[in-house]
Amino acid sequence: MDSIDKLMRSPVSFLADAGPDEDIAISSRIRLARNLAGRPFPDAASDEVLHEICDKVGAAASESGALGCPGCFSFVPELMGELDREILFERRLASRDFLNRKCGTRLLVRSDESSSIMVNEEDHLRMQTLKPGFQLKAVWEAINQLDDELSNRLEYAFDEKLGYLTSCPTNVGTGMRASVMLHLPGLVLSGLIGATIQGVNKLNLAVRGISGEGSDNRGNLFQISNQSTLGQSEMQIIDRLESVIVQIIEHEKLSRRKLLERDKYGFFDWVGRSYGILRYSYKLTGEEALNALSGLRTGVDLHMFTKVNVRMVNELFRSIAPAHLQKQAGRELSPVERDITRATLCREKLAGR
Amino acid sequence: MLCDICKKNEATIHIKEIHDGKVKSTNLCASCAAEKEKNGGLDALGFNLGEMLLNLGSLAAGKTEAAAIEPDSGKTVPVPAAVLPPCPVCGWTVEKIGQSGGRLGCPACYKAFTPLINEVLTRVQRGLVHIGKRPRNAAGGDVAVLTFEVGEAKRELQEHISREEYELAAVCRDRIRQLQARLDESRQGGGENGQH
Ligand SMILES: [Zn+2]
Ligand SMILES: [Zn+2]
Repeated sequence: MDSIDKLMRSPVSFLADAGPDEDIAISSRIRLARNLAGRPFPDAASDEVLHEICDKVGAAASESGALGCPGCFSFVPELMGELDREILFERRLASRDFLNRKCGTRLLVRSDESSSIMVNEEDHLRMQTLKPGFQLKAVWEAINQLDDELSNRLEYAFDEKLGYLTSCPTNVGTGMRASVMLHLPGLVLSGLIGATIQGVNKLNLAVRGISGEGSDNRGNLFQISNQSTLGQSEMQIIDRLESVIVQIIEHEKLSRRKLLERDKYGFFDWVGRSYGILRYSYKLTGEEALNALSGLRTGVDLHMFTKVNVRMVNELFRSIAPAHLQKQAGRELSPVERDITRATLCREKLAGR
Repeated sequence: MLCDICKKNEATIHIKEIHDGKVKSTNLCASCAAEKEKNGGLDALGFNLGEMLLNLGSLAAGKTEAAAIEPDSGKTVPVPAAVLPPCPVCGWTVEKIGQSGGRLGCPACYKAFTPLINEVLTRVQRGLVHIGKRPRNAAGGDVAVLTFEVGEAKRELQEHISREEYELAAVCRDRIRQLQARLDESRQGGGENGQH
């Protein structure tokens, strides 16, 4: 089993590389659900079968070189400490459902974290690929290839009529969930986000706010994804999702422009105060920090700072999360200690240290 | 109109969706809509799949009246003649599926519970037939994969033409010709070497 520390030290492609429309689109992600033929789904499988599936998928990944295996990371979450497992969650490599399972789970991760496979989550395989910015087609190409490499060595549960069979009928067919994470402060500040979300919902797409430390706050981050998986091809689903996201990005740009026209100093003030909070606070809750980072990111988009860039902000979004703070500190922290550590981290980062 | 969730407050938020040409409307009060927003996103489709299956399952068992299932649309739900037996492969019952939040026990459950699955798919999906990717080792192998690839390439060709990208369209047309030739070859039984 690999160590979390090693994972945290290797460069992360989605944080390090530039992507299209990265001022508004943070990342594009696709996940595919697959199951092995002739085996019960994880919820109904014995421990023995679960372990057998882990071994099979692990071997297929190694032999095919998928994920850069055997040079990939391989974790056994049920054997890891709680803090280390939280790190996997905060890095969006593992879901809560996956981490709560007691037995027979395995997580394979490409060293740059661009692709990964959860073995025995709700389905035998949940693979995902992630790229910075708005580029679903490129993500599809990558995950399609990963899927092909694995399917040459694994026999999937596939039905001529229903497509890829999944544990839950909401995923059957393509087994695909494509999503883009968007930063939408303009729509939130101008009060248009509710209408936008309703409009997107009407198109049968899902919108999720990204919550902070168990609180309601989201740092103005929203994830848009497809809901249905059957009856349309992968490319049709992606095309439709893309066309909606193009419009949301346009609306976000327009509302930022309108906000600037209507109340330029009010808008600048929000950005400036956000910078101030991050640069000079000594105690920062997760919620406050996420909100301020949203302001900072907006300022970067408006070219208001010379020493802050998008990548720095993206990295801060990740490193202020509770488990990351504690891992960095090398010990468990009380909530108050976390707020202090979080503030210190932001102060030092913005001071250029 | 009362809220679909609490059935107490006046519904102020009305969400309409179109599924296979049929309009489905959801009506919520402000507080239920906010609650929905907090729990797992604002998807207008938000529903409890396990509960739905249990309802459909008890309908199959003759425990519930048909009217309780589809109150707003008045759609008649097909009532299976007898209680559905457990899946012969994994042994899961409709009740067990309902308890596990709508998750099935194994791939064979799709066959064992076909009437229920179809009912669920009609509600949550945009179609009932998969038209996307196929695994390379699926039954029908190369023919299936190539048919899919030809379809995708043709769709791409239309896209290039509509964007007046004629050079790309020409490249695409060549690829379709090659794929089609390989497909014809595979159909004649020479499918062994048709993969690359
Ligand atoms: Zn209500
Ligand atoms: Zn079964």
